[in-house]
Amino acid sequence: MEKLKERFKALDSWTILGLFATLVVACIFFSTQSEYFFTGRNFLNISRAISIRGILAVAVTILLISGSLDLSLAAVAAAAAMATASLMNNGYDPKIAFLGGIFAGAILGAINAIIVVKFRIPPIIGTLGTLLTFRGLGYVFSGGDSIVIGAQTWAYLGRGTTFFDLPVSFLVFLAILSVFWVLLNYSAVGSYIYSIGSDPDPCRYVGISVDKIRFTLFIFSAVIAAFAGLILLSQGGTAQPRALQGAELDIIAAVLLGGVALKGGKGSLVGTFLGMCIIGVVNNGSILMNIPAYWQMVFRGVILIIAVTLDSFRKGGGYR
Amino acid sequence: MKIELKNISKSFGNIIALEDISLELNSSEVLGLLGDNGAGKSTLIKILSGIHQPDTGSIKKDGEEVSIENPKKSQLLGVATVYQDLSLVELRNVSQNIFLGIEPRVAKFFIDRKKMDENATQLLNKLKINIPNIRSRVEYLSGGQRQTVAISRAIARGGSTILLDEPTAALGVEQTAQVHSLLKELKQDDKAVVVISHDIKEVLNIVDRVVVLRQGKLVGEGYSKDLSQGEIVDWITGVER
Repeated sequence: MEKLKERFKALDSWTILGLFATLVVACIFFSTQSEYFFTGRNFLNISRAISIRGILAVAVTILLISGSLDLSLAAVAAAAAMATASLMNNGYDPKIAFLGGIFAGAILGAINAIIVVKFRIPPIIGTLGTLLTFRGLGYVFSGGDSIVIGAQTWAYLGRGTTFFDLPVSFLVFLAILSVFWVLLNYSAVGSYIYSIGSDPDPCRYVGISVDKIRFTLFIFSAVIAAFAGLILLSQGGTAQPRALQGAELDIIAAVLLGGVALKGGKGSLVGTFLGMCIIGVVNNGSILMNIPAYWQMVFRGVILIIAVTLDSFRKGGGYR
Repeated sequence: MKIELKNISKSFGNIIALEDISLELNSSEVLGLLGDNGAGKSTLIKILSGIHQPDTGSIKKDGEEVSIENPKKSQLLGVATVYQDLSLVELRNVSQNIFLGIEPRVAKFFIDRKKMDENATQLLNKLKINIPNIRSRVEYLSGGQRQTVAISRAIARGGSTILLDEPTAALGVEQTAQVHSLLKELKQDDKAVVVISHDIKEVLNIVDRVVVLRQGKLVGEGYSKDLSQGEIVDWITGVER
């Protein structure tokens, strides 16, 4: 067992290979269980299903690599959608409303940044607080009702398709993923994000503005989350205060499964993408196999435990 | 190049860490900073590194008064520090650690990895440091290798003053000799080098001048060739024989 743990710790690329193998095995398994699984139409469904959570997973990945965490991102997405829907219902131009939603996301991200970076509150506690606050304010603001935008505004973004019927939302997810993959792997800031996640003190000692980078990351990730919220708004045509409620854990599970270390400094967006695909395939396959929803919840729980166990192995054991 | 510290004092709450310290750092000279635990050695190094600011006193570089508000300012003044805990980024590789914060860039935004690896290899070769793979993560290196990476990082900044806090404390005989030879090369390269150490015998062998602190005060100073171990012990302990 110890040897297995050691080998697992040493191999980063092995994680990606292992994830890919897991994905292939899951696809083969579900193909044998349902004739509808291995069809182009079904894969398009899966791609559509993982797009919005995938965009949120990009934000979660970047924050986790930097050694931070934002549990409120799904609530930020819902709040941004509600802000935009409410602006539109008050007669604002859809473009202005769109920018308003993004701006609202940036403000909420800045609130998280102030709490975590300026007040030095541990991210898991600080953003748990803002998760409840943002969600609660969404309910207060709407009285618990959905806000209908009542138009086909940006329907192309949420429901449109491009070549080979690929959902636009999936391409947006891939585009965001690619941009941040380049940023993390080739830019100086990306390198600092990994270094800060590994240990912020050496970075401070050589003059890297650790707090400035962390502050900016909270705002950036909230803006990404707001964008995901607006795609969700355009998909359904309504903004709901309960939108993406509970999605935080699914997304974090996918990100950890993808090899991102809970303590920061390690991981990749390719891993996150594969983690999202695995979760998407398992969810889709479970539905096609007519597995009751409660059992699907059990599966998600098991996946989360597997993800955290793998993360623990990579670090040589988390609980002492 | 000369750095002068004049009447530097620093307190943390009621605790006086440094009191009225004045000393000079000269190029082509290795200065040994000695003292017991809590003598104020690390605080002095951290003031020069921009991590702490002095409460009173002044710092001059080549006769011109300077302020060192943060580590970046310290680097701009040509001061590079090797901390006792080395302060390496464990999950990053050797060249990423050496050039942390000063990476060669393409279009200002992207890191020129090839150039960074080449520069790291050149620097390690120049310092006669043998690390088989500069793409190895620092977490997999031995204590001696990590120490040399930390020193290389300080040298890569191109500074004129190198501060080393207990550079050989965790090293074996061979690795200690390697660090000593690095110190000699730095001196020959016209750098001002400050070494903090507990090991009096080692200090007398490698430094030109010795400064001893006790309870935040400068209690003794002299050229190592003129000093005996006994005299230094007396300064450190405050016991007169």
